[in-house]
Amino acid sequence: MHEIDMLLQGFERLASEPFALLLAVVGVALGIVLGALPGLTATMGVAILLPFTFGLDPLSGLLMISGVFFGGIYGGSITAILLKIPGTPAAAATAMDGFEMTRRGQAGLALGTATFSSFLGGTFSVFVLIFLAPVLANFALEFSASESFALAVFGLSIISSISGRSLVKGLMAGFVGLLIATVGLDPMGGFPRFTGGMTELFNVPFIPVMIGLFAAAEAFKSLEDVDLRREVAAALGRIIPPWSLFRKMLPTVGRSSALGVAIGMIPGAGADIAAFIAYSETKRFSKTPETFGRGEPSGVAACEAGSNGCTGGAMLTMLTLGIPGDAVTAVMLGALTLQGLQPGPLLFQDHADLLFTLFAGMLVCYVLMLVLGLASLRFMGRILQMPKSILTPAILVLCIVGTYALNNSMFDTFIMLAAGVAGYFMQKYGFPASPVVLALIMGPMAEANFRRALSLSSGSYDFLYTRPITAGLLLLAAMTLFMPLLRHLIGKRNRSRRAALAREEGADLDSKNGAE
Amino acid sequence: MKPASDETTAGARRAETIANLIIAAIVVGVSVAAILGTQHFPAVRLSTDVGPARFPIIYSGVLIVLSLLLVAGTLRGRQFSEAAKPKGRNAYLAVAAGVALTLICLVAIVYVGYVASTIVYVIALMVLMGRRNLLTTPLIAIGLTALVYFTFSYGLHVPLPVGSLFE
Repeated sequence: MHEIDMLLQGFERLASEPFALLLAVVGVALGIVLGALPGLTATMGVAILLPFTFGLDPLSGLLMISGVFFGGIYGGSITAILLKIPGTPAAAATAMDGFEMTRRGQAGLALGTATFSSFLGGTFSVFVLIFLAPVLANFALEFSASESFALAVFGLSIISSISGRSLVKGLMAGFVGLLIATVGLDPMGGFPRFTGGMTELFNVPFIPVMIGLFAAAEAFKSLEDVDLRREVAAALGRIIPPWSLFRKMLPTVGRSSALGVAIGMIPGAGADIAAFIAYSETKRFSKTPETFGRGEPSGVAACEAGSNGCTGGAMLTMLTLGIPGDAVTAVMLGALTLQGLQPGPLLFQDHADLLFTLFAGMLVCYVLMLVLGLASLRFMGRILQMPKSILTPAILVLCIVGTYALNNSMFDTFIMLAAGVAGYFMQKYGFPASPVVLALIMGPMAEANFRRALSLSSGSYDFLYTRPITAGLLLLAAMTLFMPLLRHLIGKRNRSRRAALAREEGADLDSKNGAE
Repeated sequence: MKPASDETTAGARRAETIANLIIAAIVVGVSVAAILGTQHFPAVRLSTDVGPARFPIIYSGVLIVLSLLLVAGTLRGRQFSEAAKPKGRNAYLAVAAGVALTLICLVAIVYVGYVASTIVYVIALMVLMGRRNLLTTPLIAIGLTALVYFTFSYGLHVPLPVGSLFE
């Protein structure tokens, strides 16, 4: 096949570019650190590095940026699993089961699962990028505002599956998130809503809210256990997942990676959305859905394969159509243009050599991520050996500084604190935090695209059922939302039937005994 | 006589009942305020748009319904979480002290900057958590503050606040 030959030639060219390889190592390592720190995202890392790429040749610059991108998406999972601090929004989904595994003394296994799943998801997405880019680019073009709205609704319907024990409390948390997501500028008219005249609220401060709800709330909770204050958090344990477990997770990784690629291609949908949707789908296909949220390794694998699968998908539309899939690829689009490369179909014809060398470099980046990730886990795991009386203040300081670093704004840190207090009480009374974060991500996407679709269809609501992808996604959303309720009702009916049957049998026995 | 564990569980359930009702009341209050707040939003001029108020009103309406469902479920004894374990008064005081210290630290950062406020904040938190060694506690606080400072200010080029009094 033509692509395989080109890829092999790409590897040959890459081998003769040691400086580019060195920058790839630097990029991946920097990305992992940036991703692990709360408040610092892959987008920020790529944006910080952009000026440094001006003086570099296109291959070195783009490889370094790709390294930061891939490392940044993966790095978020490390602190999410160890400390319940999601380094990136995508890692908020990983924290649900990852941190529960840490609580059970399986931190190493959770980190190992996350590292391997990230590697497999990311590598799969790069292969899709190499072999199917022109074919799949047309699929991405099918996605207009109405399909993006339906995707956001489908994403929101996941709330029902991450609600924990109480669906009502989960839905309340989700709708509170949706209401908070309306704070800021109206997506169509630019009118400020519920801002109280504060310009800081013009954009929904969802990362401060996320850091507060997850990390600060957990830190506040650890203050209350007098007996635990002097204890160390947990042991790291085994890192490499046993083959039996890994084999069981492979279908999950495959499905989540494919979902990640598909979601990555859709403009406006990023790794965070991919992680939540992959999690929900894995739970739906699982034979033991009740184990999710309680330290299920497949939950961790799904989120990480999904979010890293997104990377190749997001780059696919960026390279073939010039449409960035998410914020990171939007910055990368700038980097490409600065290097004098015009993304689009002609890029594959005019710069095929450079492109396939870059693809080879991306595969190397993922191998580097696997190696650096696994090598650093024991060191990262030392965090867990820290006494809680040092770890908790360290977490709170990181929460403050990480939130501040996002926009150099103290205002954001106060929002983080408020979210932390709210998160503490939510945890205390069984209100899950994940639906709030999910709603903050999906809410603005749903509203903006619904209103855009309505404008495009001249005010008619026909687009909800006349466009096949939109209708299909909305149907799937309805099924996802009502399935737990249906299961609950069926289970209740079966239980009452069994109870009635048992009562009847008991009455029969009593009457028989009486007759005797 | 009831066993002590039964009494504490009953106490926790009572506390959660009250908490659920308070939370439902707060959410209804916020939702009603949001609906009233949308009255000041500009009217819809285009026939092809639903306007800036539609979505907040829908979300608030659903929240009011969900709050009522929570109240009904709580009163029927169906909305209890496993998480609500009984805690002593000292536990809540420690959390309240932690929150208060964080708030003071944030206000202090605005005036005296990151370094001074964070060192004092970390020492106070460690003392609150039972680490009261006169030598190691301040040393750890200084080390942690410095590590974060150098990582962000020099490693990542994110300048941390120096405080309005020193600017």
